[in-house]
Amino acid sequence: MKELQDLAAKLLAEKTVGLVIGWEQGPRGARPAFVADPKDAGRLIFDNRCVHNLAAYLSPRRPHLRGFGRIAVAVKGCDVRAVAGLVRESQLKREDVVLLGVRCGGVHDEPTDAGPLTAENLADRCVGCEVREPPRCDHVLGELPPAPPSRDGRRAGRIAELDALDHAARFAFWRQELSRCVRCNACRQVCPLCTCERCLADKTDPPWIESSPHTRANFAWHATRALHLAGRCVDCGECERACPAGIPLNLIGRKVAAVVERRFGYRTTDDPQVPAPIGAWKPDDGQEFIR
Amino acid sequence: MSRIGVFVCHCGENIGRTVDAAEVARASGNLPGVAHATDYKYMCSDPGQALIKQAVAEKKLDGVVVAACSPHMHEKTFRRATAGAGVNPFLCEMANIREHCSWIHENRPAATAKAIDITRSIVEKLKRNAPLEPIRIPVERRALVIGGGIAGIQAALDIADGGREVVLVEKGPSIGGHMSQLSETFPTLDCSQCILTPRMVEVYQHPRIKLLAYSEVEAVEGYIGNFNVTIRRKARGLDETKCNGCGQCQASCPQKKIPSEFDAGLGKRTAIYVPFPQAVPNIPVIDSGHCARWKGIVKGLKKFACGKCIEACGRGAITFDLEDKIVTEKVGAVVVATGFQLYEIGRDHEADGLKGYGEYGYGRIPDVIDGLQFERLASASGPTAGKLQRPSDGKEPRTIVFLQCVGSRDPAKGIEYCSKICCMYVAKHTMLYRHKVHDGRAVVFYMDIRAGGKGYEEFVRRAIEEDGAEYVRGRVSRLERDGDVVRVQGFDTLSGEPVTIDADLVVLATAMRSQPGIEALAQKLSVSYDRHGFINEAHPKLRPVETNTAGIYVAGACQAPRDIPDSVAMASAAASKVLGLFSNAELEREPNVARVDEATCAGCFHCRRVCAYGAVERKEIRDKKGNLVKVVASVNRGVCQGCGTCQATCPGKSVELEGFTDPQIYAAINAFQG
Repeated sequence: MKELQDLAAKLLAEKTVGLVIGWEQGPRGARPAFVADPKDAGRLIFDNRCVHNLAAYLSPRRPHLRGFGRIAVAVKGCDVRAVAGLVRESQLKREDVVLLGVRCGGVHDEPTDAGPLTAENLADRCVGCEVREPPRCDHVLGELPPAPPSRDGRRAGRIAELDALDHAARFAFWRQELSRCVRCNACRQVCPLCTCERCLADKTDPPWIESSPHTRANFAWHATRALHLAGRCVDCGECERACPAGIPLNLIGRKVAAVVERRFGYRTTDDPQVPAPIGAWKPDDGQEFIR
Repeated sequence: MSRIGVFVCHCGENIGRTVDAAEVARASGNLPGVAHATDYKYMCSDPGQALIKQAVAEKKLDGVVVAACSPHMHEKTFRRATAGAGVNPFLCEMANIREHCSWIHENRPAATAKAIDITRSIVEKLKRNAPLEPIRIPVERRALVIGGGIAGIQAALDIADGGREVVLVEKGPSIGGHMSQLSETFPTLDCSQCILTPRMVEVYQHPRIKLLAYSEVEAVEGYIGNFNVTIRRKARGLDETKCNGCGQCQASCPQKKIPSEFDAGLGKRTAIYVPFPQAVPNIPVIDSGHCARWKGIVKGLKKFACGKCIEACGRGAITFDLEDKIVTEKVGAVVVATGFQLYEIGRDHEADGLKGYGEYGYGRIPDVIDGLQFERLASASGPTAGKLQRPSDGKEPRTIVFLQCVGSRDPAKGIEYCSKICCMYVAKHTMLYRHKVHDGRAVVFYMDIRAGGKGYEEFVRRAIEEDGAEYVRGRVSRLERDGDVVRVQGFDTLSGEPVTIDADLVVLATAMRSQPGIEALAQKLSVSYDRHGFINEAHPKLRPVETNTAGIYVAGACQAPRDIPDSVAMASAAASKVLGLFSNAELEREPNVARVDEATCAGCFHCRRVCAYGAVERKEIRDKKGNLVKVVASVNRGVCQGCGTCQATCPGKSVELEGFTDPQIYAAINAFQG
């Protein structure tokens, strides 16, 4: 933690960057921190409550961060995939950001949780983590922690259960889940890859997605969101964490990712040079969906 | 838009049988915004079109919906009629109540109700149409022809004679292609070189043809009327401007045992060589793989093994300049005429999944040759000066067996298509042989004889009846060398008996395949090709020399197996298409192209990556002081083909296709609810 604070202070003092984005202790657990003054670098922390994917702040649709010039951002290994997504889609120039990679041995589900990680309280996306050592970063900090406790993925199990249902039962499940959506757009705001200048859901001519929160419109919104994130979602789970209605949005993301992998052989990656399927066209792309 | 006219067509019985057109007109007349609705037996006929023009004038209509056939059929017709009535043609839409309705339904009331729905949907779409103007693109009235075989030569000459400049690019050291290797040609038996070489010289001397031999197309950018072509001029190792083609260098070269490509491996050439005496341009190239000095330079040796050609050259032309040169040419149209190759049946073509025909011993038995090699043996300019001598011992063959369909029409081991030319050239070979060896025996194994073409059937009959070729229907299972002869074991399927013939020479009519590397060239040009590597024409019947990319045309055997008359006909057809394109300084295009909303474009460039035509470009938006505000996608209206892939891909829906915008489609869909 000292290493992170010292480096942040140094980068700010040398004016290598104008802002460091990391985590700090808030009144209710860990929260994102924005440090512009080297003297404030001591606020920065990193521990297993730092669940937030801070790459979301690198989107060009965050004009309030534009004035700071170059930004340094603390990232866990999994967060690097979101940075790669932004670079891949021309939303960020890699040289405009300094990546402070923190070695991570897994996080809790919520930043308010505390205590050592167990198989019970480990976030689902940390199961079988392959990026404890953050790749493609400018600085890599901290000791390499032990691998997170091992257990089966809960979401994978849940998806298998849903897949086993017949169409009507599965539809009933999602109808019930999505009927709770209040269209607060938290899932969109927190998503590091929702980078549209103007969201389709905010367009009124034509009103492809109605803005009122009734089930039909909610289906339209979440189906559209799922398709727009197909092959782009980095599985950070922030949408589900941000959802005030507790809709298991990550199930959708995971399911779509599995379909994308099967159909296009693509898995979310930290390599920005690998084209995502939405922006990759090949003459021999499968066409069996045309009937 | 508030004054729409709806015109419902009966299409004779086509629509009228299952759809009550009068009822569709009546129902449409009640739609909000529709000021006039009527039906007519044949709306596309002159009186039908007159009906539209008259109604537009009398009822002051500002939009037209024609409920009739598919827009593919008559959209142009009705848009022209609408324009003739003084309304922007893009304010005319078609409701397809024939292909989408009457042809596929039987229940008249239900079909009529559906036709009303379709028409209402299009009326709602039309209300959101905007008047569009055709796109005008300047045309660079200069053509590129790729390939200097007979097709490329013909296309280049026709375009140049039509008054336009042509750049002719040929991969090899000389133009002429396969035709220059042939002895005589069917069905008239005129000498191939005698009719071809004057054409080659004509190309060389034509003031409007720029011949770039020994060159390859490296990259093609741009679009119809405005292509930028990068061409690699391969190093010949000598200064073309100084060389006068005297041939001293060739005579001096100590490397004299290199198999000649022109003589299909039957003759020999030197390391510095002109492929054949009539070559155009008559300038040698140095074969980098065989020249000792070239190899020494590449290796970085200080002392060179040889310099005989440099000494022999009286003009100091031989420079050993090994650098390829890159040149660029701006052209408005491209003709692809890259020709074919023969299926090398001795070889396993692993990449193509072709197995070859090991049982025929090609490449192993010297007296088993392919058709092109026979051409060289029979040719007066060939390695034997036209005397028929077999490769093994130079003896005159007393019996020749010809095998047709080797590799062709054989889905199991070869290629399923028919190579088209073999029936004819085998008949020709038997004639040539019998004209030279009067008492020789020419036996042909065939599957069936395909001699469709002017004078073709007569030609084959002549070979059989007058020149005594023996035709045996059946296939050959095996060729074996037995002492002096090649034993041919076949089966006569007409008599039902096995046949064994001891032949002095066996000629295999091997399949025609596309040129190696054609896929890479096709990708550079953005034209499609089939799984055999033949370039796809835009329509097999109605647009045979156009490709799916505007401004790129195809001629000759790179499109499918073609004989000389076909290739020449295609070349002239392609040339006339090019000259048609060049008849105006500007080109008019349909304005149904994509448009980016720069205000909402996030610049993710998924559209650019999915565009099959390379039509999406990066555009920088700057403020008044020149500071970069953002980078957005921008569509080149000249290149865009209006396929809509970018529109479908854009997550933020910042791309619209003119004439098919989101508000239009949304309105059309919504109309089905009511």
